[in-house]
Amino acid sequence: MRRAMVSSMVALAVAATLSACGDGAAEPGEGQAGRKEIEVLYKVEPTWPYLEKSLRAAKAQYEAAHKDVTIKLTPVQGNSEVYYTKLALLNRSAESAPDVYYHDTFQVNADVAAGKLAPLDDYLSKWPDWTSQFPDSVKQAAKAGDGKIYGVPISTDTRGLWYHKDVFAKAGLPVPWEPETWADVLTAARTIKQKVPDAIPFSMYSTKVHGEAATMQGFEMLLYGAPGGTLYDEAQKKWVTAGKAFTDSLAFINTIYREELGPRQADAQNPKLAGLATDEWFPAGKLGISLDGAWTSASWKETDPTPWPQWTEKIGWTPMPTQNGQEPGAVSMSGGWVMAMSSYAPNKQEAFDFITVATNKENSMAYSVGTGDLAVRKDVAADPKYSAGNPAVKFWTDLASVTHYRPAFEEYPKVSAEVQEAMEAMTSGSRTPEEAAKRYAEALPGVVGGADKIVTAP
Amino acid sequence: MTVTAAAPARVAGSPPPGEPRRDPRRTLRWLLPMGPALVLLAVFLAGPILWTFYIAFTNETLTGSASVNSRFVGLDNFTRMFADDDFVNSFVLTFLFVIGSAVIGQNILGLLIALLQRGRGRVTRAVVNGVVIAAWVVPEVVAAACWYSFLAEEGTLNRVLGISQEWLFTAPMVAVILANVWRGTAFSMLVYSAALSDVPGELLEAASVDGAGLWARLRHVTLPLIRRSIMSNLMLITLQTLASFGLIYALTGGGPGTASQTTPLYMYEQAFRYFEIGYGSAMALVMLVIGALFSLFYLRLIKVEDR
Repeated sequence: MRRAMVSSMVALAVAATLSACGDGAAEPGEGQAGRKEIEVLYKVEPTWPYLEKSLRAAKAQYEAAHKDVTIKLTPVQGNSEVYYTKLALLNRSAESAPDVYYHDTFQVNADVAAGKLAPLDDYLSKWPDWTSQFPDSVKQAAKAGDGKIYGVPISTDTRGLWYHKDVFAKAGLPVPWEPETWADVLTAARTIKQKVPDAIPFSMYSTKVHGEAATMQGFEMLLYGAPGGTLYDEAQKKWVTAGKAFTDSLAFINTIYREELGPRQADAQNPKLAGLATDEWFPAGKLGISLDGAWTSASWKETDPTPWPQWTEKIGWTPMPTQNGQEPGAVSMSGGWVMAMSSYAPNKQEAFDFITVATNKENSMAYSVGTGDLAVRKDVAADPKYSAGNPAVKFWTDLASVTHYRPAFEEYPKVSAEVQEAMEAMTSGSRTPEEAAKRYAEALPGVVGGADKIVTAP
Repeated sequence: MTVTAAAPARVAGSPPPGEPRRDPRRTLRWLLPMGPALVLLAVFLAGPILWTFYIAFTNETLTGSASVNSRFVGLDNFTRMFADDDFVNSFVLTFLFVIGSAVIGQNILGLLIALLQRGRGRVTRAVVNGVVIAAWVVPEVVAAACWYSFLAEEGTLNRVLGISQEWLFTAPMVAVILANVWRGTAFSMLVYSAALSDVPGELLEAASVDGAGLWARLRHVTLPLIRRSIMSNLMLITLQTLASFGLIYALTGGGPGTASQTTPLYMYEQAFRYFEIGYGSAMALVMLVIGALFSLFYLRLIKVEDR
């Protein structure tokens, strides 16, 4: 009897650990009373309400023009990493997959390979704005390996250095600051450490907890500025193993943390590092240099929960230099997000029509002005409202001339994870740059599908 | 407290031994009411377990080409797992977590509280029980938030001690173990309170009369009488702790780095952040086996004790 009780309790305990959850989904594409329904998935955070605002506006505009269609907005609360997970899980079945979703460009290829995304070329050819307002460079954002386009860009971005002019003045460093090599950046950071002890000299994202932000804002901004530095060889269509450029980039990060030029270890591991740097350290004059994206100044706007109107006088911006100042002298990375359509969407024309409304001039403008991401449409970029109150916008837009794009192939997210692993070892000091590079080289074949997909770096 | 090792007496009307055939109507009579429950169990419990078992041997991913044409890869996931430093690290941490927070922490603290409450007044018991159980009934995320605000750099603990120390960064494992002890002790306390109420008072009195001290009474009278409860309690809390996810996830996220990344967290990261659902499932299977081994070990102990 007792035995039976014990074993039934064990069964219960095991069952309790294996709980599953799912969303009850109605018939896809059917709203109330036979109206068509388009479900739109997007991400929202307390400090990042801009996309939701512009999608709500798009919903109102769209429903006014299409009486027989309901737009169902489904927010995902949380950061990008959480959003990728939720989207991937919803996309497991046609029943639960959203019709339209906000999508990070580096996830596009994997989803195309999985057959989750619908190509938009036929629809785009009938949409006049696509030809007149979207520059060719931007159109490539969600172009997959098959040459088809799988998303309409809603934002793009560039990356570079933000610096605090007062901290520089205290350290006796020149303002405006124009570093030409990595050594110049490190010298400035060392000077700040020496002369302004209460300020963090240099902040960057370098741990797994920051996910893609660490890879892109941190590592790739170094790698793509080093001679021959790249993760992927376009000519040979192979992934590049760790070479000198890779090790040098790691060595830069290693120098930052070993010489204590960066944030404290605990802050480097803090998921809220971005908020700390922009909303606390910079306004308080406690941070010298920050390697971050164009959108950083959006959190100082007057409409933001933590406004800092003085930023336009206190903060300077400058391109991230190449390693030794070699041509073109500066480096930037660009990514961005698109509005994409599910291959499972039952009402594709209606879904595409909603995408065109969500990315029209008015809604793109609201999104760009709110987030600080760079405008993709020509008419938005030309509008004085877009650059009003943001003296840096021209600078960040012009960085497009030296920018690089991630090799956003299907394997990229896993390669990125390996890069983060190496960066984290630099942050904590658990490995030397050489050891971490060797480890990356050993792990790479496993994540890209074999040694034949790899080429040795110079 | 005794277990009969003899075979149970035959129920009147049951077929004599050696007659294999049963009356099919009798089978129907219990199958009919039990049927729906069995179907539900098969679909919602056995189904997912079998599916997990299957994809643990494939290269299934959540997205990408392997999600549409996944292949059977035999034991690849398992060989990869045991060569994976991060997995080995997570495994060691899981073991630490189970031993530290369940086997030692919750178990001993629960027993201690239950012992101290013997013979106390009703009010004292109600208050202590209320406090301990309150920690147990709050959701994991709330418990994690409480501990976060207690341990954070500008949190209560540092205010009280007057120092500045990032506890969650410097001692993440200690932090999650303490938080889990705090949260889960109530269960052990309730099990032991019930078990102790079965220990006859006169036995303890007789032992005192014979000159047994406090420790001797506990060691020779109380513990032997409640050993079955100890074993079942250990089994239950071990299984619960082995699969504990929410508290650690909300408190440290497995960080800093992988310093508090127990296997359930590593499993989540591989399956839902890097979309390696096959690899994650293989880890789930390993966890299932570990849980089963623990259970067998405890059951065996109970058996040995009963001889």
